[in-house]
Amino acid sequence: MKKNLFALLTVLVLASLVLSACGPAATPAPAPAPTQPPAAQPTQAPAPTQPPAPTAVPPTKAPAAVKITMWTKEGGAQLDEVKALVNEFQSKNPGITIDVVNYDVEKLRENFQTAVLAGTAPDLLWTVNDHAGPFTAADLIQPVDNIGIDLKQFVPGALEAVTLNGKVWGIPLSYGNNLMLLYNKKYVKDAPADTDAMIKAAQDFMKANPGSVGLAWNMTEPFWLVPWLGGYGGKVFDTDGKTPTLNTDAMKSTLQLMYDLKYKYAITPKECDYACADGLFKEGKAAMIINGDWSLGDYTTVTATKTIDLGTAPIPKISGADWPKAYTAGIYFMFPKSESGDKLNAALAFVKYVISDDVQLRFLKNDKRLPSVQKLFNDPSVQSDPILAGSAADLLNGTGMPPQAEMRCNWDAMKPNLQAVLADKMKPADAAAAMQTAAQTCVQSLK
Amino acid sequence: MGGLTLPIVTDSLKSVIPVLLIFIVGAVVLELVTYFILSKVFRSRYVLPYTLLAPAAVGLAAFVGWPIIFNVIVAFSNWRLANLLNPSFGVGYFVNNIKAVFTGPLLNTPDSGFFIMFGRTILWTVVNLVFHVVGGMALALLLNRQMRLRGLYRTLLIVPWAIPQTIAALVWHGEFHQQYGFVNLMLARIGIQGPAWLSDGTWAFVAVCITNIWLGIPFMMVVILGGLQSIAGEYLEAAEIDGASWWQSFRNVTLPLLQPVIGPAVALGTIWTFNNINVIFLVTGGGPSEQTNILVTGLYNAAFGFSKYGFGAAFSLIIFAILFAIVAVWVRMSGALQGVYE
Repeated sequence: MKKNLFALLTVLVLASLVLSACGPAATPAPAPAPTQPPAAQPTQAPAPTQPPAPTAVPPTKAPAAVKITMWTKEGGAQLDEVKALVNEFQSKNPGITIDVVNYDVEKLRENFQTAVLAGTAPDLLWTVNDHAGPFTAADLIQPVDNIGIDLKQFVPGALEAVTLNGKVWGIPLSYGNNLMLLYNKKYVKDAPADTDAMIKAAQDFMKANPGSVGLAWNMTEPFWLVPWLGGYGGKVFDTDGKTPTLNTDAMKSTLQLMYDLKYKYAITPKECDYACADGLFKEGKAAMIINGDWSLGDYTTVTATKTIDLGTAPIPKISGADWPKAYTAGIYFMFPKSESGDKLNAALAFVKYVISDDVQLRFLKNDKRLPSVQKLFNDPSVQSDPILAGSAADLLNGTGMPPQAEMRCNWDAMKPNLQAVLADKMKPADAAAAMQTAAQTCVQSLK
Repeated sequence: MGGLTLPIVTDSLKSVIPVLLIFIVGAVVLELVTYFILSKVFRSRYVLPYTLLAPAAVGLAAFVGWPIIFNVIVAFSNWRLANLLNPSFGVGYFVNNIKAVFTGPLLNTPDSGFFIMFGRTILWTVVNLVFHVVGGMALALLLNRQMRLRGLYRTLLIVPWAIPQTIAALVWHGEFHQQYGFVNLMLARIGIQGPAWLSDGTWAFVAVCITNIWLGIPFMMVVILGGLQSIAGEYLEAAEIDGASWWQSFRNVTLPLLQPVIGPAVALGTIWTFNNINVIFLVTGGGPSEQTNILVTGLYNAAFGFSKYGFGAAFSLIIFAILFAIVAVWVRMSGALQGVYE
């Protein structure tokens, strides 16, 4: 009998171990460093001479012994920064504990939707503006107009990127997310003024450095297409903000330009995704790259500066057309709809800490991310830094990234057809028409 | 980015250990309750086996049974982003979902409808399985004889299987780069200009097939090698005495004796390959221009990109039905599970 009992207990333990392996992972896996740009929107970066905006916000009463969970889209070195920030905040606010969970951008969106359904939503989201569209469409987050933070202190453009149906749905913690031209001053002395100059600079570099490329960018994602579209006067939505307008002359010209850069002028890699473009630039094999403000920190590290002498500038003006209009946005705090009481107050206390001058300037210094708080644009650290000044200048040309859920239809419609054009499998006119059809069908299916 | 530090390890353990304890305590309680009820209330003769099976049965019901039932329920709904918190259910929604799968473009190009992707899935599965079985068989036959360093070869040949699929696929993604990838650089060495593996639809499909073939051969090799080693030498000696050639011996003795091993392995391979989302997702992402999407990657992109859960659930049921039919036919034709019934 004893033998049987011992055997039974052994099996019990083994069985429970097996069962536990079937359970959900208790700790989410860390997400990769951001490769997908988020979104956002603004058209006006604040003029450097503007007086500081009012920032006086009454301090939120910090509740006692509250534990909250925050999901962040930051990965890699940025995640370490977020955790350090949280630790710092906790040491100053002993009653509040924040669990930081990291997902990449897409997983964060999917998992948040699922978590709300399961009743296990986090208390705070640190994410991108384009999540505002699906989250408001599904009624998952709450507006922040009257949440207890003065919105007047932020750059107007940063708020536009999360404004839907007349309400603001996120608190910006940085502003930008804009694509710009980054060039290696070792190979290109001055920022090219227009696309003709850019092409010439690229070709000169390639002639002097066989096997290298003049200009690299992520050729698989339409986020890199839309700035050029704006330069030709195109927009992805009609005035109603929901009807796709992709089959236009502007789109055809854009696709033709991208095709020409690859085939006619031959200044780009034959194929290149984000990692490829980033790698080429870091290794000094590309003279210029079109990349976002999120990469500035990476290109100014001690290691990177061995191969890169970084210069930043707006994406060059299209010869014969206008300045490209990069989509702009930032990174935002969003609050689940059900969040209230002590947990909401704790989350707000942390948000206020992150948007404080000290922390904002630290982001600026460490990551070269422009602040969301308007008065800090006048800070000497922005004005005197040529890299940040270039980024800020690019913002002036930018346009807000539409946050509505229908934008996803446009992205998904543009992507395969852009790829077809760059693979020389489709004419720009046919691709533009195909984009429109696909986007319309998709928007229809959302209703 | 920091490495694996003590705080990370302790934080992880703090999260994992309570969950583990809950499962252990739960299983023990379940065992005790089952034991008590069966022995004291029902006075069953099978107290011990039922008691031992109880946690596994509950686990299967919770983690396999319920998700399947839930999936079927969701297929009868209009659950999507716009009504995420208040979906409606009904037979009409199921019909609409099924109709949408077969009639609408699933993705964003005109040629990404269901039937095109279904055809591509069949091609993908057949090509991979043929190479898996032929390659695995060839390597197993080579290893199934006396040779020097056989253990080393065997170890090296199962390396692709040992590498996590995610890492292998990401490495292959880099190696297929048109200008800087290993594959084209090697081709250039022998005077061949390599294709645009990742931006040409046809070559992208070849690229994902190569990756998955590389990943899948070791499994088949190990299984077949096990089968070969279980064949008694007397059969082959008898064939040799009868004057059978190598091919006759292989065709009439080895292959039939391998059938109980190859049959289930092919059935498993069919299921895994048909549903293989990792390789395609990581090597090409379904691109370029959706030209490497198979049904499961199409399902993922179509359903989760836009949170169309009702549609996605119906789509998944269709994939399940197709796969079930294919495997059922194969099992019946090949006698793969004959040994189980005899």
